[in-house]
Amino acid sequence: MKRSLIAAGAAAAALALGLAGCAGTGSSSSGSGTAGATTLRVAVWNLQQTPEFGALFSAFEKANPSITIQPVDILAANYEDKITTMLAGGDTTDIITVKNLTDYAGYAQKKQLVDVADVVKSLPTADIPATESYKTGSAYYAVPYRQDFSVLYYNKKMFADAGVADPENLTWDEFAADAAKLTTGDGADKVYGAYLHTWNSMVQGYAAAQQDKSYDKPDYSWMADQYKLTLGMQKAGTIMDWATANSQQVQYKDMFEKGKAAMVPMGTWLIAPLLADTKAGTTDVDWGIAPIPQLKSGTKITTMGGPTGFGINKNSKNTAAAEKFLTFAAGPEGAKAVAAVGIVPAYHSDEITKQYFGLDGMPSDALSKTAFDPDVIRPDGPTGTNAAAIGTILNQEHQLIMTGSSSVADATAEMASRVKSDVLHQ
Amino acid sequence: MTTITQRRAPAGEETPRRDRRDRRDRRGLRRSTLIGWSFILPNFLGFALFTLVPVIAAFVLAFMNWDSYNPPTWAGIDNFVRLFRDDDFRVALTNTVLYAIGHVPLTLALSLGLALLLNQKLRGIAFFRVAIFFPYITSLVAIAIVWNMLFDPTSGPINQFLHAIGIANAPGWTASTAWALPAVIITSVWRDMGYYMVLFLAGLQAIPREYYEAAQMDGAGRWRSFWNVTLPSLRPTTFLVLVLLSVSSFKVFDLVFVMTQGGPGRATLVLSQLIYQDGILNGEFGYSSAISLVLFVIVLVVTVFQFRIQQRRER
Repeated sequence: MKRSLIAAGAAAAALALGLAGCAGTGSSSSGSGTAGATTLRVAVWNLQQTPEFGALFSAFEKANPSITIQPVDILAANYEDKITTMLAGGDTTDIITVKNLTDYAGYAQKKQLVDVADVVKSLPTADIPATESYKTGSAYYAVPYRQDFSVLYYNKKMFADAGVADPENLTWDEFAADAAKLTTGDGADKVYGAYLHTWNSMVQGYAAAQQDKSYDKPDYSWMADQYKLTLGMQKAGTIMDWATANSQQVQYKDMFEKGKAAMVPMGTWLIAPLLADTKAGTTDVDWGIAPIPQLKSGTKITTMGGPTGFGINKNSKNTAAAEKFLTFAAGPEGAKAVAAVGIVPAYHSDEITKQYFGLDGMPSDALSKTAFDPDVIRPDGPTGTNAAAIGTILNQEHQLIMTGSSSVADATAEMASRVKSDVLHQ
Repeated sequence: MTTITQRRAPAGEETPRRDRRDRRDRRGLRRSTLIGWSFILPNFLGFALFTLVPVIAAFVLAFMNWDSYNPPTWAGIDNFVRLFRDDDFRVALTNTVLYAIGHVPLTLALSLGLALLLNQKLRGIAFFRVAIFFPYITSLVAIAIVWNMLFDPTSGPINQFLHAIGIANAPGWTASTAWALPAVIITSVWRDMGYYMVLFLAGLQAIPREYYEAAQMDGAGRWRSFWNVTLPSLRPTTFLVLVLLSVSSFKVFDLVFVMTQGGPGRATLVLSQLIYQDGILNGEFGYSSAISLVLFVIVLVVTVFQFRIQQRRER
């Protein structure tokens, strides 16, 4: 009796779970529009909080009245998993937004997207350097519409109050020294000189980009210096303790907007929310951007970043219209639309930069403009076939280093041996 | 069969009538069987579609390589060979077993203790029962976030309390490889004990009052009557709780995933998360099916073992 009760209960729970899971995908499977007009369905994340999508879609619809865009909204945190499941299930959503290069590698390897080399050919690629990131052999499975890279956000008022010069062309050592000068207070009132977010890219990414190292080779000893610097700052209390930031799930945006940290190295994606929040009156932080600190002074500005792009689903039934959208989004017209909401477009031109810095609330000083034009942008994480698996290992070992559970030497050696045996199967 | 017909043969007159009645009975039986089936059909359909078929598919996939998109290729026992060399699997298996060893007895003891405590006729007892049950119906994500803050090694209330009572070297909890798993176990015990307490309460209330009266007449104290009346009478409930707890411990995923995501490092990586990581994230559905097959066998063996012990006791 009891056993059958358990079984029935389990079955009911399984059914409920199954139905709940099903309802999620069901909402995105309606057909295309009425005769004459085409409806393109585009997978996006957090539509409400991500104004670039709306801006891009309405600009495209205005230019192409016969095509309607229907966004398929997905929670940002689940975006990768959800797309994987959708594509595996034969979903026909026409366009997939490619969030980062790690995901791109997965789609390209599984050949889930259409080769859009023809679209690329029609684009002014000389002005869209990020296009090259999507080159896979002779094929391109996506085109970029935005190109983010890391800059140093700084609180101008805090710098002035502490009598510290603006962070112009800092080295990492100078960055640490400035952070020490800018750290004030104690306990709940503590203001940190800098905030480094909990991501492993915040240490490993800068090291890899600025030393031009590849994640594919199972040797990570080159990360040691960057870790030494970060651990030193953590010990001195000039950045928030990693464990605290992690257990409190601290938001980097809050740290900067609420004046809890004077400097925050972060991607250019933070600009749009900063502009929006200033406009909405939820923050009055007086901010500027500077180039990311470098290994040595006087060198080229090298930072990390990555493109965001659009790809066409292999199962799409509106490939022609979808290609039209890709051409629009990656080109000058798309760039104009996204730049208007504070997003850095993949397409570069003087006109766009001018438009960008003309935005309401955008800092217009010379340093911010310099920061906007780095010399080299390298990927902010592993790319290629094994990107996801390598990323998992690097992140796990990062946590061990930052919590003091493992020494830098041990952890980097462990990274190498695990990547070698578990990923490369050598 | 033959002997029966032989014995019945002489009573020739009765045979046709009985045959008719038999047929009617059989038709009735078939009808009620069909009605019975129709009652469980919606449930069974869901179960078959969303549980049975995927489970069978996973069994087959465990012997294949599949990225969820391109056609699967046969792998034979390659996935299992790889499993026994995989460091992640070893770590996840150890963590899962440790989690079960911590979670099952602690939850069992605490929920039984709470049930005994709250099985009294007191004013406002319902309030306390609800209060203990509350964590179980609270959103798991909320629980994980709040406990993460409580466990914060520097500014968290737990460590501040430990400092205040003079413990200088308070544990690092979720930020330490040694204490992350205990932290997760504490949180899960706190969350689950209310639910199992309700099961125990139901069991306690089913014990006839007369047993206790008889024990009292025989001069048994409270401890004796707990040991000789309550515990033996609760055995079916305890068994149910034990089985449910063990199965849920081995399958643990959600709480660990929200609280620590398996970290720091791999300190709280459990089998279910490894299945998710290798399957959904890394796109190796064959390999992750092989891991889930191993997890299935472990849960099966543990459950069968528990049933065996229970049967032996009942005999």
